[in-house]
Amino acid sequence: MEDLVDSLTRGNVSQVKTVLASVVAVLSAYQVFLMTIGYGKVNVPFLKAKAASFTHRATGDVILVVTLLVAFMCLVYFEVGDGIEYARDGEQMRAMIHVVAGSLLVGAIVLKVIVVRWWHRMGRYLPMLGIMVFVLFMVTWFTSAGNYVIGG
Amino acid sequence: MAETPSHGRQVAGSLIAAVLLVILTVALVTAKIGPGLDSSELREREERQEERLEQREERQEERRDD
Repeated sequence: MEDLVDSLTRGNVSQVKTVLASVVAVLSAYQVFLMTIGYGKVNVPFLKAKAASFTHRATGDVILVVTLLVAFMCLVYFEVGDGIEYARDGEQMRAMIHVVAGSLLVGAIVLKVIVVRWWHRMGRYLPMLGIMVFVLFMVTWFTSAGNYVIGG
Repeated sequence: MAETPSHGRQVAGSLIAAVLLVILTVALVTAKIGPGLDSSELREREERQEERLEQREERQEERRDD
């Protein structure tokens, strides 16, 4: 599997992961914006709630696929324990937070999809779940890809 | 007052905005982690990863020898 990830990214696993993670982080912020319109918290003349909700759902499907792909690359190539153990000196805590936030993120996304598609009774918790997913996206990104992109 | 676009146009516009965000993000991040310090940091990390894989293989071979 490691070889598959390595060949798919042409040996640039970290770089590809950084770009993909940054894309889903930005899209997750866009998702929040769309749902503020979807729930009627913000009114803009060029986008109504129904269209915003539709785009939120479509973009969410893309985010789900890309996030699972990044998580797969992370687990296969870096592994959970080794990712923390082999982090640079003084960066073990960052790696640990990344692993915890990333794991919670995958769980929260799966739960959100289940609530949206099948568990409609829990629909009232969707805004809270959405905010949680967004926060976890940000934490996961800042403790990995963001650290390289912004931290330099 | 300006007329609200049709539902189809609103959806298309918001999807195009998402695509533009993706393109912009890819361009900015690629420019940032391209050749330079950040790229070399990532390369260092990959080298450490390769080292780790080699060590793991060595350990597996040692176990097989035992």
